Amino acid sequence: MKGLYSGFTALAAASMLLAGTALPSPAAAKEIVINMAAPDWLPTRFMQEEFNRTYKAKSGNDVKLVIDFIPWPSFYQRVAASLSSGEKKYQMIVTDSQWLGDFVEGGHYLKLNKYIDKDPELQAIMADMHQVLKDTSSSYPYKSTNYYGFPQFPDNLVTFYRTDLFCNKTERANFQAKYHRALPCYYNEWQDVDWDEWGQIGEFFTRKKGAQLGNGVADDDIYGVAFQAGKGYDFSSMQINTLVWDYGGDIWDETNTKPASGVVNSPIAVKAMQKYLDLLKWAPPVARTGQMDIFVVQDLYMQGKVAAVVDWVGVAGPVVDPKVSKVADRSAFAQSPGTRRPDGSISRWANIGGQPFVLTTWNSEEVVHESLEVVKWWLSTPTQVNFVKHGGGESGMLSVLNDPAYATWAPFSRAFADNLQWQKDIWHIPEFFPLLTEQQEQFDKAITGQISARQALDTVAAFQDKMLREDGRIH
Amino acid sequence: MTHIQPLSPPPETIAATPMRRSARGFLGWLMAPERRGPLLVAPAIATLVIVNVFPLLWSYGLSFFNYNAKRIAVPPRWVGLANYTDLFSDADVWGRFVNTAVIVIGSVTLQLIVGFLLALLFAREFPLRRYLLMLVLAPMMLSLSAVGVFFKLFYEPTFGFIPRLVQEFTGQPVVILDTPVKAMAAIVCADAWMWSPFVMLLVLAGLVSVPKYLYEAAEIDRAGAWRRFRTITFPYIRSLLLLALLFRTIETFKIFDVPYVLTEGGPGTSTETVSVYLFRVAFNYFQTGRASALGYIVLFGVIVLTSLYLYAIQTRRSEQP
Repeated sequence: MKGLYSGFTALAAASMLLAGTALPSPAAAKEIVINMAAPDWLPTRFMQEEFNRTYKAKSGNDVKLVIDFIPWPSFYQRVAASLSSGEKKYQMIVTDSQWLGDFVEGGHYLKLNKYIDKDPELQAIMADMHQVLKDTSSSYPYKSTNYYGFPQFPDNLVTFYRTDLFCNKTERANFQAKYHRALPCYYNEWQDVDWDEWGQIGEFFTRKKGAQLGNGVADDDIYGVAFQAGKGYDFSSMQINTLVWDYGGDIWDETNTKPASGVVNSPIAVKAMQKYLDLLKWAPPVARTGQMDIFVVQDLYMQGKVAAVVDWVGVAGPVVDPKVSKVADRSAFAQSPGTRRPDGSISRWANIGGQPFVLTTWNSEEVVHESLEVVKWWLSTPTQVNFVKHGGGESGMLSVLNDPAYATWAPFSRAFADNLQWQKDIWHIPEFFPLLTEQQEQFDKAITGQISARQALDTVAAFQDKMLREDGRIH
Repeated sequence: MTHIQPLSPPPETIAATPMRRSARGFLGWLMAPERRGPLLVAPAIATLVIVNVFPLLWSYGLSFFNYNAKRIAVPPRWVGLANYTDLFSDADVWGRFVNTAVIVIGSVTLQLIVGFLLALLFAREFPLRRYLLMLVLAPMMLSLSAVGVFFKLFYEPTFGFIPRLVQEFTGQPVVILDTPVKAMAAIVCADAWMWSPFVMLLVLAGLVSVPKYLYEAAEIDRAGAWRRFRTITFPYIRSLLLLALLFRTIETFKIFDVPYVLTEGGPGTSTETVSVYLFRVAFNYFQTGRASALGYIVLFGVIVLTSLYLYAIQTRRSEQP
């Protein structure tokens, strides 16, 4: 009896001990604060709200995600200043993909391979990630298997258009009569729109106040098209790069075997940029100031001043929100235009948007562990589905993208998914920001009519050549 | 019998507490009347050295190195005066100095004219004067970047107040920030709007200090308005105007926020001031050594202007009755 009693006591003690290990008591829970730098917009705001609402750390620790929301135009400078000052303020950073090289070389971003190699859940995430996002959002060097990030929010450029105009019978008949082609209304019709037709759409819908518009009369001047043409950050580059790639040109020689001159300012690149400048004729007048950034494009569209725009999915959520958008009930989304190839198909290469999130190198193992748990939570199917459904944006996880119902979860989901295979990225090298700054300045001069497309690209090519040679990338 | 308090402890007590005596002795030495003043200002001086003097000296040192603050692992490379000679021979830098000079000349001139006229207006008594004065002073109390945002919205060609107003009359949309000349004028107007009240305050102080009997005497002598202004008013406000001119020149020379927010230095680089360029060199190109050298060139310009400012103050003092 005594033996039985002793055995029972030992069993109870062991059970309590095990229970204690599996479920730590509140006294053992630690408060862990993960400070994360992030651009201030809907996808990151959603993440903060969703985290606060639903996240519970499996470890039992009291994990807090504190996002430092930074305005887009100064996002890079703020993060770069923080990292280079050595203040070690952030444990995680939502980083633009092209920053990877810069901050990996600077010793700020943590290489994640060893954590992925020993964690089946992270391996599953990597296996589930779209290859384009592995290349652009995770790897450095570009397209390598050295992983540094996970997609916090993948993004691409899509067309927003007004169905009350594009699906109007009279407008369609008038467009057909004038240009001898159909005015796109349905998704599949938009899939056949090239940059030439985009220009025709721009011309067709540029109307003066009082002119016939759809079933009514324009109550103000309306413009045909709008797209990025802003000096700040990377705004005009994102759209011009897209046209250069679509036309078959390139923005640099990725193999670093050729001089930049001849690639950056090739006749085909000049032709593509000239096309971009020509299309600006049909954009609202703010384009002439070089200040038509992604938020200005979004605002012009939401205020009903433009018939169709090309902008990021990341700013599409408010467009369908009747509280802030005048055209919420008459907006639809499609793939952005491309360039028609000789066989009649459309080349639709574009500059990928969105951002990965990364961990910083000064985190303790405990913080790394909790941060990776946050990554797993964010990339889990329920969170991703919720994110897509609530207009926060899109998912880069195949298990979510391949869901048969995916295209119905948000009005822009289908266009995003169809575009994903066409995405490329700009320089993933540490020199990217000086290259970008110079390019933005020259593009802005061309947009505001101070220099030609050829002069802009010649200057960009000379700068790129000099910088990449000085840094030993071109031999 | 009166108890007499001994002036010092007996010798055996002193020997028993050597530490206390030494501490009291040091405190006593430290708190001596002749040291109290330096002691009180010491924390402020220490703060100044840490947050101001040390960074100044550090950046001065960096200006002789090729250094990228993002590459902490790469040690700075000594280049001597190369950063300075490169900057002085760089046409882009001179272009930014020209942009800055245009803004300084345009804005300060406008501030002086508008400020002076406002001062003449507010030197007189009229109904609601105090309330209007508060309204007029409001712009200079705003933050610089807020003024930039405010004018950006004001000039925006589709929704902005000015383009919409002009369109009401002409029927055509007006674009204010599309050419270098118009963009420069837009910055000048925004800066002058903000700082004209400051000039007005200074001039107003001069105007109210003019003795009334001088105007009465001039009236008796039948002096005209222009003569009264030239011989009575202007001598009283001359040195204050000079102060306003120098103070505003120094401040406008460093202008950053308004052009950065309003035009981002565009179209192209046509409104990029030397401060905006300095920011780009430091935080876009991350040429930290070069940015430090440019910072010192700007500082030199400010020191020259400040010397003139101090000279003007001295002149003003010597003119006081």
